[in-house]
Amino acid sequence: MRKVLALFFLLAFGLAQQEVTLLTHQSFSLDKNLIAQFERETGLKLRILKAGDAGETLNRAILTKGAPIADVLYGFDNTFLSRALEADILVPYRSPEIRNLKATLLLDPTFRALPVDYGWVSLNYDKAFFKDRPLPKVPQDLARPEYARLLVVQNPATSSPGLAFLMATVARFGEDGYLDFWARLRDGGVRVAKGWSEAYYTHFTLYKGDRPLVVSYTTSPAAEVYYSEGRYQEPPTGNLFPELAFFQVEFVGILKGAKNPEGARKLVDWLLSRPVQENLPTEMWMYPARRDARLPQVFRFAPEPLGSVRMDPKAIGANRERWIEEWTKVVLQGQSPEAVRRGRR
Amino acid sequence: MARLAGGVVLLFLAFALFYPLGRVLALGVGEGFALALANPYYWERYRFSLAYGLLSAGLTLAVALPLAFVFRRRFPLRGLFLALSTLPFVLPTPVVALGFLALVGPRGLLGLDLYGTLALLLWAAVFYNLGLALRVLLPVALALEGPLQAARTLGATPFRAFLRVGLPLLLPAIGGAGLLVFLYAFSAFGVPLLLGGPRHATLEVEVYTLLAYRLAFPEASALMALQILTLGLATLLYLRLRPFPLAPGEVLGGGGWGRALGLGGFFALLYAPLWALLAGLDLEALARAWTSEAFTPLSLALVNSLRFAFLALLLVLPLGVAYGVAARRSGLLDLLGLLPLMVSPVAVGLGYLVAYPGLRGSLFLLLAAYALLAYPLLARALLPALRSLPPSLQEAARTLGATPLRAFLRVELPLILPALASGVALALATVLGEFGASLVLWRPEWTTLTLAIYERLGRPGEGPFREAQAAALLLAFLSGLLFYLLDRGRGRWG
Repeated sequence: MRKVLALFFLLAFGLAQQEVTLLTHQSFSLDKNLIAQFERETGLKLRILKAGDAGETLNRAILTKGAPIADVLYGFDNTFLSRALEADILVPYRSPEIRNLKATLLLDPTFRALPVDYGWVSLNYDKAFFKDRPLPKVPQDLARPEYARLLVVQNPATSSPGLAFLMATVARFGEDGYLDFWARLRDGGVRVAKGWSEAYYTHFTLYKGDRPLVVSYTTSPAAEVYYSEGRYQEPPTGNLFPELAFFQVEFVGILKGAKNPEGARKLVDWLLSRPVQENLPTEMWMYPARRDARLPQVFRFAPEPLGSVRMDPKAIGANRERWIEEWTKVVLQGQSPEAVRRGRR
Repeated sequence: MARLAGGVVLLFLAFALFYPLGRVLALGVGEGFALALANPYYWERYRFSLAYGLLSAGLTLAVALPLAFVFRRRFPLRGLFLALSTLPFVLPTPVVALGFLALVGPRGLLGLDLYGTLALLLWAAVFYNLGLALRVLLPVALALEGPLQAARTLGATPFRAFLRVGLPLLLPAIGGAGLLVFLYAFSAFGVPLLLGGPRHATLEVEVYTLLAYRLAFPEASALMALQILTLGLATLLYLRLRPFPLAPGEVLGGGGWGRALGLGGFFALLYAPLWALLAGLDLEALARAWTSEAFTPLSLALVNSLRFAFLALLLVLPLGVAYGVAARRSGLLDLLGLLPLMVSPVAVGLGYLVAYPGLRGSLFLLLAAYALLAYPLLARALLPALRSLPPSLQEAARTLGATPLRAFLRVELPLILPALASGVALALATVLGEFGASLVLWRPEWTTLTLAIYERLGRPGEGPFREAQAAALLLAFLSGLLFYLLDRGRGRWG
């Protein structure tokens, strides 16, 4: 028996152990034991390549179209879905796991991009700061000077939560209104940080900053409890304005020209399998796409927001660059919303 | 031999810089080029970069020059202070920003909000670049003793000797140090942005955004052309400063505890942001981070950092020396050698992907990227020493029958060892400071200390935040130690 097993292992690993390569963003993280189990069961060596944030990662995949640097791409979201599909870098794959996924997440009818997880970019507030002070009541209140100077956002040109928040304001205030909203935020003293880490760890009041309102995720309060080593029983932060929360879905796809298409399919199935889906909430702080995946305890502090912004990927694809450009003109270059709107025609 | 050395450097540059960069620039032919140059917003960014670069260089020199003279003498803890001066060079920008804001941010310890002020930006510039300038100036400052003595013997007052002899001899080193600081500050990526908000973005930040997020190659090419033109012009100006051959000097005696105390006070003030970070040190967090399950354990990250630093050194050392030998008498090569510091790393990184898809995620490419960014610094420290060697040394050795290589190895190399040690320290700092990893795809098992810090700063929560702080202090300590060891060695050689 032992000999048979040894021979089996030799066949599985010793003889030309095949590789499968996953290109992903810097936030990718899964339990090491799960990865080891995948390698054991498939006989494949999983090679993970990280390439900056979600947008940068997708762009690197697009740039290397034809001579792909990986077999599977994971981590591009609905704000970049249309770019990924138009660039024609992915091949369709009808994974047997699709029937286990939440149907509302299947945003690509061609099955080139399959949903792995989802979540919301959302405003967080520092509970201690607002203990004796009133919170803003409606999203419009944010633009009032007394709140604008309490808010830190990320630059949508360099940050994916920043872009999501910008799009939430477009959805809420309309194509004409959003620039006025941002102009008032600008005049009121909103702070713009480069990325999420800077906004959260240097400007948010929870960490010695002076801004008690920050653009983050609906799961951040739960993560605060999880990583507090028992210091917090309740989150020190809360979510504000579900109607400004922006719905994000992260996708996986097999790259056109993948060297190991068979392994790529196995990798996709594995990412959609229940063990991985139940592991990713406390690793990447997103909600699993599988219907039957159980959420960890700590996610009771991360309820799904009602009435959040869900935007059509096509509409995002058609307007994303223009929104970023117009936002830059108003907020960073100080132009008037009227002038920017005139420039559209 | 110089020709052979030049060939080696050019071959490396062709592989690691010209070809990949060319591939990216070739993607940048289009109407966006002219459009970007017509956009007043980019010119505003350009003006800011220029102003920040010039002010940083001027201020850093103003501090580094007197300091170089203080370090000419032996005094207690001299090696420690020298090591200290280059310490911030390796620290990741978000961590340094955290330190500055903890001290003089909106809710800082001092209760003085300097966020977004020019004072804070320039403080950060000196904080980062002082060690760099000092390391270029010091070898020349030491070599001045002979000529200064001669001037004094001939009856010049100390002031006059400095003005008429010291200063002109120092000028090339001043130019070199100023140029390096200008190169770094002009294309600073994060520091002014993090400490001053988006109004303080440099042109480099715009290039990064255009390339990495928008794939807008024509616009990016236009801005890169502007960058290279500016920095190339600055380099040409510097190359006009002809260095004088100076014999390497020794550290002088005569400094006492007074010097040590004064320097201690100076560094205590300059590094106040680091003390603010240190105040947040949490040994428990360090212990947790060391064996972390949720993130890359620091035990692994530390090993990776050291491994890559020393592996890269294997490439950097021969390249830097070859470059020094080749460029000691060639201005053109000197200009080429500084090119890696002038081009946007992200452009080179994307170029690697396009040019060498087969090398994706390969250790070799990572090391080549490290080498590309580190060897110019080693060479910068080496060149003044090489150029100060009189040609007669080589000639004498050759007359006595040595081959050119043997003459170099046995006669010249021992003479430039102190400069080499300080160059190695700078190169190691560059690698530890992680510029290379942003160039290429990296693998989780390669996570270095710097990347381990970013990894933790990417998750919300007190635990990751404290672990990141602890990791930053570990990195600072490690680099301080490396410099201390190298400088101690240097004391013996010098």
